[in-house]
Amino acid sequence: MERPDVERTSGDHGGTKAGHVVGSNMSPWRDICPYAPSAVLTASAVPLGLTAGWGAAAAVAVMAAISIVSIHRLMQRIHSLDQQRHLLEEQIVRANKLSTVDELSAGIAHEINNPLAIMAQEAQWIHHLLTNTGLRDVKEAAECEDSAAEISLQVNRCKEIVHKLLSLARQMEPVYQCIDVNGLIDNITGLVEREAVPRNIEITKTLQPDLPLVYTDPPLLRQVILNLLMNACQAVDRDGAICVATLSEDGYARISVSDSGCGIPQDILPKIFTPFFSTKPEGKGSGLGLAICRGIIERMGGHISVSSMEGASTVFTIHLPVDNRPQELPSSH
Amino acid sequence: MDKFRVLIVDDEVDFVETIVKRLRDKGLEAEGVHRGKDAIELLDTRDFDVCILDVRMPGMDGIETLREMKKKKPSMEVIMLTGHGSVESGIQGLQLGAYNYVMKPIPFKDLLKEMTQAYERKLIEEERSLKPDGKA
Repeated sequence: MERPDVERTSGDHGGTKAGHVVGSNMSPWRDICPYAPSAVLTASAVPLGLTAGWGAAAAVAVMAAISIVSIHRLMQRIHSLDQQRHLLEEQIVRANKLSTVDELSAGIAHEINNPLAIMAQEAQWIHHLLTNTGLRDVKEAAECEDSAAEISLQVNRCKEIVHKLLSLARQMEPVYQCIDVNGLIDNITGLVEREAVPRNIEITKTLQPDLPLVYTDPPLLRQVILNLLMNACQAVDRDGAICVATLSEDGYARISVSDSGCGIPQDILPKIFTPFFSTKPEGKGSGLGLAICRGIIERMGGHISVSSMEGASTVFTIHLPVDNRPQELPSSH
Repeated sequence: MDKFRVLIVDDEVDFVETIVKRLRDKGLEAEGVHRGKDAIELLDTRDFDVCILDVRMPGMDGIETLREMKKKKPSMEVIMLTGHGSVESGIQGLQLGAYNYVMKPIPFKDLLKEMTQAYERKLIEEERSLKPDGKA
């Protein structure tokens, strides 16, 4: 595209002007390729200095322009490759992080379970001594017993967290069964309605009637959808609406759960799938629910995303491959 | 239909009696008990493919029973059953490895469908564990 322009310019004006024009034409490239203009100017100045004909100068200018264009294209290509690389790196980092979290949490969970069991037993023994021996007559006995009870309580809390960690880390392979996802959703919303209706939360369903059957792990998918619906109920609290929708999309089943609740602030939106991230008061949420959801969906070859408008709504969207069964070699039976 | 073995655990005696009859009528091997503790003890001597387990029972409740069952017979599939829907215990049950969570009253044919799917899953898992590399 630059070619005819440069040719005409250099033909109409003097050589120095031609050089000048080529130079100014290049200014947009300066940012992309700062060394290019001076290199081209030097190249064109050499034949001009030798008082060669206009033709030679024009040829040099054309070649310079072509090389600038190709350099520009090259730079664009490098730039886009760079972006792709960044994206891939991000994915790899996240995958690594996920597997590290998996391994770490499984390790920690197993290591912590034993001491927890001992602590629980010792607290029970203290309780026994305080209530069944001469110690019960000591005036601080009641206070000691309170402390022992609190220890038991907190140990139980730790056990719950450890248990959830284990289910996050469980390296189990999904068991793929061919199921009607709409039916599965009907079943779950029926259960959640019992919690939602008394709080005046309306659950509506927009399910695509001819959604293809999906090969997926039904208990795992149930766990995810139930979890999302529970979150939605909590976000709405009272008087609002939750909508569950399904749609077939290019080899994927799209399942979305939206609510008219409090929304999620933009700055914390990227963190909500991170293990142990929670906005609930201390002790109310483990911060593992959505991390488990993402783990499950990704293990089944799908992905989960979220978008939200603070104070208005939140939508969780799951894309699940219709058939993600591991490729099996033709078997003999 | 495949003939699989079903264990029903519910403190409602009449419910257990009827459902056991209907399952046997379908040609399934069905057994009923009324307490979580009895169910756990029965698992020492007998194997079942699918268990229907009530969530609310006096004594050992459904969640606790499920936990013990999964320790003893991890491959037995469990369907939780409840009269009063409690979503929290539903999530808890699924996290502990229950196959599904259904509400009473559930039509017999729907329950049978759930049990068949649960049994199918058990077969897939058994087949997988028989393969030398342990993968599907």
